[in-house]
Amino acid sequence: MPPSSSTDMHESADLDSDDDITARYTRLLLQAVLTDDPLTTEQALTDAAALGREMVSRELPLEEVSEIHHAALVALAQAHPELTLATVADKVTAPLMEAYMAYSLAFREQLEHRTQAILSARLDQLRRLEAIGTLASGVAHEFNNILGSIIGFSELLTDEVQPDSSGARYLGHILKSSFKARDLTTRLLDFARSMPEILEPVNVVPVVGETIELLRATLPVHIRLVMDEGPGQAWVMAEHSQIQQIVMNLCINAADAIQGRAGMIRVGIDTLPRTSDQPGPIVRLSVTDNGEGMTPEIQARIFDPFFTTKPPGRGTGLGLSVIHGLVTSLGGTITLESTSGAGTRFSIDLPALGGHTPGPGHTAPPKDLSP
Amino acid sequence: MTDTEKTMTTILVVDDDNTFRTMLQEMLSKEGFRVLGAASGTQALTLLESHSPDLIMTDILMPDGDGIELINALNQRNSPIPIIAMSGGRRSISLEFNLESAELMGVKATLPKPFTRESLRRVLEETLHP
Repeated sequence: MPPSSSTDMHESADLDSDDDITARYTRLLLQAVLTDDPLTTEQALTDAAALGREMVSRELPLEEVSEIHHAALVALAQAHPELTLATVADKVTAPLMEAYMAYSLAFREQLEHRTQAILSARLDQLRRLEAIGTLASGVAHEFNNILGSIIGFSELLTDEVQPDSSGARYLGHILKSSFKARDLTTRLLDFARSMPEILEPVNVVPVVGETIELLRATLPVHIRLVMDEGPGQAWVMAEHSQIQQIVMNLCINAADAIQGRAGMIRVGIDTLPRTSDQPGPIVRLSVTDNGEGMTPEIQARIFDPFFTTKPPGRGTGLGLSVIHGLVTSLGGTITLESTSGAGTRFSIDLPALGGHTPGPGHTAPPKDLSP
Repeated sequence: MTDTEKTMTTILVVDDDNTFRTMLQEMLSKEGFRVLGAASGTQALTLLESHSPDLIMTDILMPDGDGIELINALNQRNSPIPIIAMSGGRRSISLEFNLESAELMGVKATLPKPFTRESLRRVLEETLHP
């Protein structure tokens, strides 16, 4: 139900609903289309940006956003049938772009933030569970050794005492209690075994593909995001979401490095054999952009926590230090090559599955046990 | 298995837990076997230079040269001595070696701790007279 005049729309603007957003959006378009005053146009642009951010904070689904746009255009056409399409298009483009830019920026930030929050909450929980599991299995292990001695010596002692004597009865009780304790340690070990494993084999090729699709929907249209031809499979020990987070963070950084210009981000996956420097085969994930590049000074600090080149409100600077920590925890390395003004390439080398024995801190089952 | 067969059979027990090792050595000799003892995989390898047991029973996790290292060393030199791996631990989420690791490395049998004399007899029978 589109309002018929700007006064009506103003009254409905305080309502906290999606209708309110539609009304404000319609008013904004009207302002932009009908005014000749530069100040009013400026205000419309500011309002449009605010509205774009608000749409994200209200978590409006994407399809609803285009419905709002459509409803506003219909309302505009009904209220002012005399307007030509050309006038509307001419006037509407600027606030529309402003709203869209703010929307996509906020959407990306929210996506990044949410991925991070979900990931760290899940990891925290898994780490706690893992610690409990390790403790339980360690205690059970020690108790089984002790019970082994108690049960064994009790059985040996049974040979030394008269059958049907009090001593034989007492030994029967000791054995019975020991078997109860053994059942308990078995339950503890079963519990420890049921604990989830943090790392699992992940084929990074489809994970990177999915993440790129997701990113394409949120990156500005002037940035091309392409995935280079590579192997069909590349397995590492990781969490699905960790690979997603690595790709997402690096691509968003690359997009920011490209800024307003037209640019290209290439994502590549390669499997590299063992070399003299590298004890096992690796999976190399690379993200290359043709953006502004980095000076050696910036390169030196790029993985420092809280270091950022982005304007306030655009990034916390935690992204790359988090990625660095994440890659290290997976037994990998992250390196970058950058030329100021020409672009940057981040390379992440992860141990390929089957080619290495995970180091301490990993929770993968041991590999390469064959003699 | 006859008593004579048993006295002809030497079993090397490898375990860092002195109480458990004493118990198992005692139990095996009461069963009629000849018994040797070592407190680590490293000690066991030294002992093997001068002795040739017919069977090795080894714990898996030991601080000084663990059972996996011992099994690996024996595999490397194509040792024909059958091995029974023992452990109080089971497959867990940690990276610790365990009975499954030993199985993968081709030991003849595994014996989870604690075990009864009855289970021990059964496993020995299966290993020595397959």
